[in-house]
Amino acid sequence: MTALLSTRDLVVGYEGRTVLDGLDLDLPADTFTVIVGPNACGKSTLLRTMARLLTPRRGAVLLDGAAIRDLPTRDVARRLGVLPQSPLVPEGITVADLVGRGRQPYQRWWRQWSAEDGRAVEEAMRLADVAGLADRAVDTLSGGQRQRVWIAMTLAQDTDALLLDEPTTYLDLAHQVEVLDLLHRLRAERGRTVVAVLHDLNQAARYAGHLIAMRDGAVVAAGEPREILTADLVRDVFGLDCVVVPCPVSGAPLVVPALTQTSAVPAATPATAGVPVGDA
Amino acid sequence: MTTPVPGTDSRDLALAAPAKGAIPARSGQQVQDQRRGPRGAGRGVLRVGAAVAVPFRWRPVVLALVLFVLLCLAVVVSLSLGTPYVAPVDVVRSLSGAGTPYDLVVRDLRLPRAVLAAVAGAAFGVAGTLIQSVARNPLASPDVIGVTQGAGLAPTIALTSGAAAVLVAPAALLGGLAAAVLVFALGARHGLAAQRFVLAGVAVAFAFRALIEVVMLTADPIDGLRAQIWLIGTLAGKGWSEAAWIAGTLAVLLPVLLWAGWALRSSTLDDDTARGIGLRPVARRIGLAGTGVLAAAMVTAQVGAVDFVALVAPQVARRLARTERPPLLCAALLGALLLVLADLGARRLLAPTQLPAGVLTAAIGGPYLIFVLLRTRGRRS
Repeated sequence: MTALLSTRDLVVGYEGRTVLDGLDLDLPADTFTVIVGPNACGKSTLLRTMARLLTPRRGAVLLDGAAIRDLPTRDVARRLGVLPQSPLVPEGITVADLVGRGRQPYQRWWRQWSAEDGRAVEEAMRLADVAGLADRAVDTLSGGQRQRVWIAMTLAQDTDALLLDEPTTYLDLAHQVEVLDLLHRLRAERGRTVVAVLHDLNQAARYAGHLIAMRDGAVVAAGEPREILTADLVRDVFGLDCVVVPCPVSGAPLVVPALTQTSAVPAATPATAGVPVGDA
Repeated sequence: MTTPVPGTDSRDLALAAPAKGAIPARSGQQVQDQRRGPRGAGRGVLRVGAAVAVPFRWRPVVLALVLFVLLCLAVVVSLSLGTPYVAPVDVVRSLSGAGTPYDLVVRDLRLPRAVLAAVAGAAFGVAGTLIQSVARNPLASPDVIGVTQGAGLAPTIALTSGAAAVLVAPAALLGGLAAAVLVFALGARHGLAAQRFVLAGVAVAFAFRALIEVVMLTADPIDGLRAQIWLIGTLAGKGWSEAAWIAGTLAVLLPVLLWAGWALRSSTLDDDTARGIGLRPVARRIGLAGTGVLAAAMVTAQVGAVDFVALVAPQVARRLARTERPPLLCAALLGALLLVLADLGARRLLAPTQLPAGVLTAAIGGPYLIFVLLRTRGRRS
């Protein structure tokens, strides 16, 4: 396992509060890595720091062994694509134009377009399945389509690695699966290194080749989901009692929250299904 | 759901691949001619050798040509109207150096002022476009971010204290730039983020406005009135030297403006996205806002606060060009056209009384902006 992205003794914080305190981490190349953890565990902070959107107080992020801070941001943009959590859609911009913005690191103000740009944009739109929307205004699209357009923009950047901060948030289940399938294909068919922060543990287990579980700014466990995702880990990381069973469809670990006092109450559960509910 | 499920195993990949059929090029997929440039109707690429390639859309290019023709017509009309009336044919002959009896009126009396109007209008259009893009607000203009008030305070003091007239313009320029520096300093802590920029600007504008009023109220009423006319903005009695200062500033800024036209393209992206594609958004904003403020301070120093042009020109140009951001060249040409017409009206409407052009720009530009807003509402969802 070779690491494309690593962190060394990374310390990151906001105004007095330290979020990550001396984190050492290696993200394997050619792998779909998913970072999970409870709210405020520092997973987005980690991703944003690796994407150079945040400047660490101490330590370094290494891209192929070189400190990312010392590389020109344009060069980094040719090797590392970033999709922030909720990017702002420029008013009235067309899909093709927004995807074309991904070619920025290859362009200069006197050479704003090349045949290579055209090829990369077409390819990115095709991969993300938005070619049919090319002339539509992005702000008229649905959330799922929009997210695919943003992913297409980062694909047009033609980078080895792609970092995504909660790419499925605000999408319905079908669109979540669509986006995750696309990321999976990028990894499987294009050999891209994909790193995403996800909220849904079961989706993480199903799609990740490498899972990183974080709590309080530290990595609790990292490895293949089938090896590390256990009931103990979920209790440890999320403070949730659960049962982990193999998923009937994919065989990946499936996290099912255990019955609690409150969740046992509804009348529809099998145990109480036949009991008449006294109302009259 | 029959879609094969990707798992954590490389064995699953063979199954996953055909699921959506994305990798084999889809039959029937139109692969466009890549020499054509960015995809979409009505576009082209300007190429100069192998080194220069600038994609453009036809609509803004045609709009710019139309605006330029209209501007030339407006200048000719402006040169012909007045006392004495000069027929447009004679105006053109006089301008071409044919030697007519009207040379004095056309070339020496009216032309300097018309050229000043065009140049000042263009500078306001450029300043408005740049400032609005950084402020991310179509209502931002030099007076919203305090440059106008800064440029107004120094001349108000000069005009009411009997200082030499030659000091007025340099004082205004320094005042405008000082206000801009203050706004930048207040906004810098948050990377000159849009809201912070506007907020700092509004605060500085109010502070300078209050100082102007203090100076006006304590001054001799006649001096106060002169200062008031300067503040509204007038082109009366101005000409070549003011035009040269503004045109010189624009000429010096030209390389920066070429860059700005390109940088504006990405100014609508949020900072994280911009950094992700290898931009430095804060440096970009400082460059764009600095250029806009420089143009605004210079033009305000020369002709006063005719800055409604800066508010209207970019927005109207954007709607006419149907682009997602104001096109810089079109905004400049539209600003020029607007100010030439406004100054013509200022000269002629209540002749021989001259109105300040600033009154007319608001009177023409305001209703037109409303008209364009109403007309384009609903075309885009």
